[in-house]
Amino acid sequence: MQKIRSFQARWGRMPSYSELQDLFQFASKNAAYKLAKRLISEGHLQADETGRLKSRWVLPFAGQVVAGFPSPAEEELVDVMSLDQYLIRRPEASFLLKVTGDSMIEGGILPGDLVIIERGKSPKSGDIVLAQIDREWTLKYYKKEGKTVSLVAGNPKYPVLHPKEELVVAGVVGAVVRRYR
Amino acid sequence: MTCEPVRIDSWPRGILHLDGDGFFASIEQAIHPELKGRPVVTGIERGIVAAASYEAKAYGVKRGVPLSEVRKLCPQCVMLPSDYETYSLFSKRMYAIMRDFTPEVEEYSIDEAFADLTGFRMLYHCSYEEIARRMKIQVEKDLGITVSVGLSLSKSLAKLCSKFRKPSGFTAVPGHQLHILLARTPLEKVWGFGPNKTAYLNKLGLKTAYDYVRLSRDFVKRRLGKIGVEIWSELQGEYVYKIDVNAKQEYQSICKSKTFLPPSPDPDYVKAQLLRNLESACIKARRYDLVAGRMTVYLKRQNFTTVGLEAVLSRPTVATLQLAPLARGLFEKIFEGGTEYRATGVVLSHLEKAKPIQFGLFENPLQAVKIEEASKAIDAINAHYGKHSIFVGDALKLQGRPRGKNDIRTYRRDHLLPGETARRHIGLPLLAVDPDSRIIGACADATPKPPRILN
Repeated sequence: MQKIRSFQARWGRMPSYSELQDLFQFASKNAAYKLAKRLISEGHLQADETGRLKSRWVLPFAGQVVAGFPSPAEEELVDVMSLDQYLIRRPEASFLLKVTGDSMIEGGILPGDLVIIERGKSPKSGDIVLAQIDREWTLKYYKKEGKTVSLVAGNPKYPVLHPKEELVVAGVVGAVVRRYR
Repeated sequence: MTCEPVRIDSWPRGILHLDGDGFFASIEQAIHPELKGRPVVTGIERGIVAAASYEAKAYGVKRGVPLSEVRKLCPQCVMLPSDYETYSLFSKRMYAIMRDFTPEVEEYSIDEAFADLTGFRMLYHCSYEEIARRMKIQVEKDLGITVSVGLSLSKSLAKLCSKFRKPSGFTAVPGHQLHILLARTPLEKVWGFGPNKTAYLNKLGLKTAYDYVRLSRDFVKRRLGKIGVEIWSELQGEYVYKIDVNAKQEYQSICKSKTFLPPSPDPDYVKAQLLRNLESACIKARRYDLVAGRMTVYLKRQNFTTVGLEAVLSRPTVATLQLAPLARGLFEKIFEGGTEYRATGVVLSHLEKAKPIQFGLFENPLQAVKIEEASKAIDAINAHYGKHSIFVGDALKLQGRPRGKNDIRTYRRDHLLPGETARRHIGLPLLAVDPDSRIIGACADATPKPPRILN
């Protein structure tokens, strides 16, 4: 399922049977068909009336919406996408974290937001990371200049942090979720 | 000690066994990172240790030890209620990561799995050891827990290997080195040998697994039968026990039991617990499309003695509404007033695949069909609103009762996210870190606070 999910995340649609065959390196398309049939019977996949695989848990994605002015694009269904697949690249390595504190408000993360942390990924400069700096946990921008690493807050109130003893990056923030009501 | 090799080929098969180290406790450390490096046990709701972290094990804390004993052995130990929902999420993720490497993965238990790597050397352009190591690193990196991995020629050998070094161990034993592993393995450590078989083999003068595999096949067959020969072959590196990739679908029996704290002499409350177990067992049986031919109910007294009764059903069924009156009847027969009970349980046995109903001569078919229909409707409602949203009236006694001092809610239950209800959670583990920058901000000004040391 992981392979199929990554395919869907990459291409925004479900694979065809010949793509399934390539994906699993099967010798025949029939093998791909049998696998799909089994996954359908177990409820992992769904097929439409023509037999093509179709995505589950999808939300209609209504193109771009200009806030303030109604746009004709609103009505036009561009494609379908699933929110969890949009937000979560690697479900196996993703964790939720509820944010407290206001140190990342300029990064668009407010107190009470949920962030999706992806573990096992090496951070790049500019990523927002969940890190343990000198045994204290924090959520900050990861900044690497040459060999020095610092953690920068998205709020001028807070100083730039340099690890004195150790820095452990527990994961990289992949997405932010906010519910208004 | 010198011993002859058992076999000379190195890797006719690559079978891997992956075992979580103090699984529940290390998951708690993964989602509560501040607990890393500290002794942690789970199982507070049962009053005994369900899992202990390796830091706690260093103090002599083991599974099944009462918590009062833990307090004496290791007063600084952190005790947590079990959060089975999160554990099962981690377990599923562990299998999924393994399936990224090979489709042949057997989910052996919540914290253990087997995988067959045979033939994948060509695909990954590396040895079985290297593939197994990559899998181990991936699981540990993605989940934040440690696992021990054993790699060898058969399931029994792989299991021996994973137990060989713990925690976070990696042991790979190819065919030509089997004799070294077997000579270091006492008989009681062999998968499938209990205390009785070990005692019997000791009497025959055998001490290690190596002594056992040196016996002749005929001798083993005569003395220990078919199972003995299977274990004997597995230990020699033959692939006897196959990897079962199908999730468990067949059950001989389904048992649901629950220990409640504090123990109770109240018949209504104990009965409510019993019927809750009955409902859970019926839900599980219906999920696998099974019907039961017999039902056993039992009660466990505070002194750990058990009393139970079995009923043979006139027609196999798992409709809660049909079994509930019977369970009540059995309960009345075994319940003794004035006795404190600590657990109840229900076993559905003689399970078979559900078939169209064949009614008995004195049955009311209309009522039976209605009950079956009601069961389906209840399942549909429970599937939507959460398990036990609809339940038999007796179980009302479970609500609003003063909770014992050990009834501490899990972090997950206490921290519902927007949109979640007590019964429906998002299927992602919730990290319990407080990333409040103000702590750091405060510590960075005027007087630098010394780094906090967690012990």
